[in-house]
Amino acid sequence: MEKIVLPDIKDLHLIDVYIQNGGYTALKKAFSQTPDDIIDQVKKSGLRGRGGAAFFAGLKWSFMPKTSSKPKYLCINGDESEPGSFKDRQILEFNPHQLIEGTLIEAYAIQANAAYIYIRGEYHKWIKLLEKALADAYEYGFVGDKMKEKLGGNYSVNIYVHKGAGAYICGEESALMNSIEGKRGYPRVKPPFPAQNGLWGCPTTINNVETVANVPPIINKGWEWFSKIGEPKHPGTILYGLSGHVNNPGIYELPSGTLLTDLIYKYGGGVPGNKKILCVIPGGSSMPPLRGEQIEGIKMDAESLKAAGTSIGTAGIIVMDEDTDLVQVLARIAKFYYHESCGQCTPCREGTGWMLKLLNRIAKGEGSTHDLDLLISVASNIEGNTICALGEAAAWPVRFMITRFRDYFETCVSREVTIPVANKVHSLRHTEYPLAPIKD
Amino acid sequence: MPKFILDGKEIEFEQGQTIIQAAKKSGITIPHFCWHESLSISGNCRVCLVEIEKMPKLAIACSTLAAEGMVVYSESDKALSARNAVMEFELINHPLDCPICDEAGECKLQDYAYSHGNGESRFNEEKAHKDKRVPLGPLVMFDGDRCISCSRCIRFCDEIAKESQLTFIKRGDRVTIVTYPGKQLDNPYSMNVTDICPVGALTSRDFRFKARVWELSSTKSICNGCSRGCNINLEVRNNQVLRLTPRQNDEVNSFWMCDHGRVNTYKFINAEDRVDSPYLRRKGALARSGWDEAFAAASSELKSYSKNEIAFIGSPYATCEDNFILSKFATQIIGTKHMDFIRHFNTSFGDNFLRQGDVTPNSFGAKAVGIFPGKGGLDLDGIIKAVKDGQIKAVYLMEDDMIAFNPELQEIFSKLDLFIVHATNFNKTTELADIVFPASTYAEKHGTIVNSDGRVQRLKPAVATFDVDRALEGMSLSRWDKFGTKFDSWAEGNKRDARSSWRILAGLSGAMGHKYKYGTAEEVFMDIAKSINAFSGLDYEVIGELGAKLKLDSVTKPVIA
Ligand SMILES: Cc1cc2nc3c(=O)[nH]c(=O)nc-3n(C[C@H](O)[C@H](O)[C@H](O)COP(=O)(O)O)c2cc1C
Ligand code: SF4
Ligand code: SF4
Ligand code: SF4
Ligand code: FES
Repeated sequence: MEKIVLPDIKDLHLIDVYIQNGGYTALKKAFSQTPDDIIDQVKKSGLRGRGGAAFFAGLKWSFMPKTSSKPKYLCINGDESEPGSFKDRQILEFNPHQLIEGTLIEAYAIQANAAYIYIRGEYHKWIKLLEKALADAYEYGFVGDKMKEKLGGNYSVNIYVHKGAGAYICGEESALMNSIEGKRGYPRVKPPFPAQNGLWGCPTTINNVETVANVPPIINKGWEWFSKIGEPKHPGTILYGLSGHVNNPGIYELPSGTLLTDLIYKYGGGVPGNKKILCVIPGGSSMPPLRGEQIEGIKMDAESLKAAGTSIGTAGIIVMDEDTDLVQVLARIAKFYYHESCGQCTPCREGTGWMLKLLNRIAKGEGSTHDLDLLISVASNIEGNTICALGEAAAWPVRFMITRFRDYFETCVSREVTIPVANKVHSLRHTEYPLAPIKD
Repeated sequence: MPKFILDGKEIEFEQGQTIIQAAKKSGITIPHFCWHESLSISGNCRVCLVEIEKMPKLAIACSTLAAEGMVVYSESDKALSARNAVMEFELINHPLDCPICDEAGECKLQDYAYSHGNGESRFNEEKAHKDKRVPLGPLVMFDGDRCISCSRCIRFCDEIAKESQLTFIKRGDRVTIVTYPGKQLDNPYSMNVTDICPVGALTSRDFRFKARVWELSSTKSICNGCSRGCNINLEVRNNQVLRLTPRQNDEVNSFWMCDHGRVNTYKFINAEDRVDSPYLRRKGALARSGWDEAFAAASSELKSYSKNEIAFIGSPYATCEDNFILSKFATQIIGTKHMDFIRHFNTSFGDNFLRQGDVTPNSFGAKAVGIFPGKGGLDLDGIIKAVKDGQIKAVYLMEDDMIAFNPELQEIFSKLDLFIVHATNFNKTTELADIVFPASTYAEKHGTIVNSDGRVQRLKPAVATFDVDRALEGMSLSRWDKFGTKFDSWAEGNKRDARSSWRILAGLSGAMGHKYKYGTAEEVFMDIAKSINAFSGLDYEVIGELGAKLKLDSVTKPVIA
């Protein structure tokens, strides 16, 4: 099976090996075409973002204004902080030049004046590896001023590696841009969107590391070739991250639409001790979890997972066997989003803490069915009411885990409403709370 | 004008206006915490979420631009349930310490909890705790528990005061406000954050725990701290001014006032050293006297000098009405040409926002109503010189502590044979005076002052004296005044026997055989409007609450050195 992003070539991270294997030829090819031609090919290839929302990459690039009195920027998102997600670092380690080449092509396509690759601060090692690769690329003249000489034409661009300081929220695109600007990593209110008002208020495009690493092969081998790999509506290969209760955890590059069960059993070697699967989160910890008995026949691509009631996210598959304590799992997930909420907007700032406190109480064996309903209500009150999608990321696992595993959770709580006496009178006479119909 | 529909009503808007802005212009307030008309949009509180047809999610009214034909619901089930949800979130970790919170009574969170809250809490967990009673600067105290992280205070410092001093730190429900390392919240406008903080997280260290706000009566007035003339509310309990707050006037001060104006310009009103009746110097010391006795003394003393031996010094602190009558008195009754007033200028006080180098409220008006030397008369320097030389033997000074302002004058002015002074408080100047008349402060009288832009603005009595009758003058009342309380002792101890300077002069001229026909400050102003071109067409009604411009072409701006 063909691997596009992480081919099995020894020492591909070395620039000479990369060049020997056809590296930086896509860049030359791209420069012989117009920026619009490049955008067109990426559009036709059907390439979708690998950063979580599976947005069409070519379409996003085409939002950039063609004429602008302001400079334009490109940001590459390597913040990779979602629990269950560890794919981008493989690219940084094993194929950094393909990322650099993709970045250069995208920068050319949107006519960016500068490109930033933002990497989470905890990736010390991978930042070093990328910096080394980038220094080599500069030396060879692929990046920066020397580009014009080396590649002909009039376009040149600098790439800067920007190190995060340990905040999941800085992976959210507008928080990432604030972070690069040296501000607090607060997501921005949208609209305006980055293509109008991005980095330093200038038109900006932002893509995930894996998304960009797919670009050189698309230019080299053609969009038609790419569009035929995997599921037509979400073509290409995907770096699936397998973790949790599997025998062979790791990153697997496979065509989109690969069966979830194949990933777990064929590639991941099944569940240790041949235990049954209780729960699978298919796309990183923020995505709606599936019940073990639900996963049969589910294909791993954006459209199929949507139809199955969940989402591809970052394709980080977390497998949990039958002995897993789901209350602990959910409490731990809730703790993560509580810890990472930037605290800017009210529902997420306050709601993440409330959910965590409720879950901790349930985990201590002090929960009631009332608390389960309350959790769903709190999660629903966060969803859709926040500045950024961390609100949903925090609410989805709670709402879906509890609704999908209601039977499980009911065994972990008492039917008696256990609330402090002082509040009892109040809460029991609780009037109907006006709520939007609970989404499912 | 394009229109959109809000809850079934057509709302006109201008391109670029947000839903909340356009609604406000049409008199509809969409609930909001973080949005403030003159600050940038932060969109963080989410209480303004509204439902918009054809939009999949609720949108915030404070950042969503109004568009032609847009159909917006702020009271639909969805919008209400989102608002209730946000209110519940705001309240879960809130200490709900309204009974001991200074903000209670003027708190947006409290108000919205009444109107949009659920009335009971589903939150049974331990609340998050943050630092309390943190002094952010010399004048502002912070209570982290009460903060709803709306960022108004931060944006105020960055955007209005233009000194970045505050920031958020930490994340999630640990977020709190601090000053930047090595900095304090000490910009000259710092206390405005206590007004715009929607909750009791930022309170005035000057006002903390002095009163519950509903005990205060509020009177629209003008700051007398400098010639900007910021519009303010004088807030009074039990006949004592307890705080000043800025009052919106987009032509003058927008929503703001400076800290100097707020904390340094009212304490003299309540002070112990107020002049509380006329005083006459007897055997070297000032002694209390009756009004008639004082008028008679002043009258006979003044009559014993020739008009060229008498000089008049008006006041940039007094009203136009006061200065107008002083000028009339000097020229018509005494007949002197020696008249001027003292400029108080402090270049280091002025800035390019509100504060003006002319630190008096009415130098423009004093000059405009006639406080300047007549032809061949002496100006201030001339008067001082003539006092020194003994040519001027009597000085009549209205409301200015000139000796404190220039201690060198002490020796010179002790040479005077007659020194008559109107003063609000005993001071360095009254120490030299032979006759002292008790003048009302700006908080105790009707009148007008003119700011450095030539804008006439009105003062109204907020504190009762023997001279102003609460009922007749229509003075404002607090809730407790209206409904009766043990604190309501307006009619008792605190009233002082002070009068507006114009009224003192009118009394004195009566004693000198010349009756002025004015019964009220308003009547004096009508005469000003009739006789001085710059004021023509103006009356108290036209000036209203927000002031009116003088006709500037007909008056030269006072040159202040
Ligand atoms: C809370 C939050 C965290 C995110 N973290 C990341 C991340 O670490 N890496 C990433 O590529 N995208 C992340 N995203 C998605 C980005 O906002 C953005 O959609 C993505 O980088 C776009 O790239 P793509 O179109 O190539 O997928 C995050 C989004 C949210 C709401
Ligand atoms: S949703 Fe959460 S992370 Fe996003 S802006 Fe609001 S508080 Fe911050
Ligand atoms: S202190 Fe007040 S103004 Fe500042 S963020 Fe908190 S609530 Fe808002
Ligand atoms: S700027 Fe001047 S008028 Fe305004 S509050 Fe300050 S002292 Fe008063
Ligand atoms: S007022 Fe709109 S989000 Fe705060």
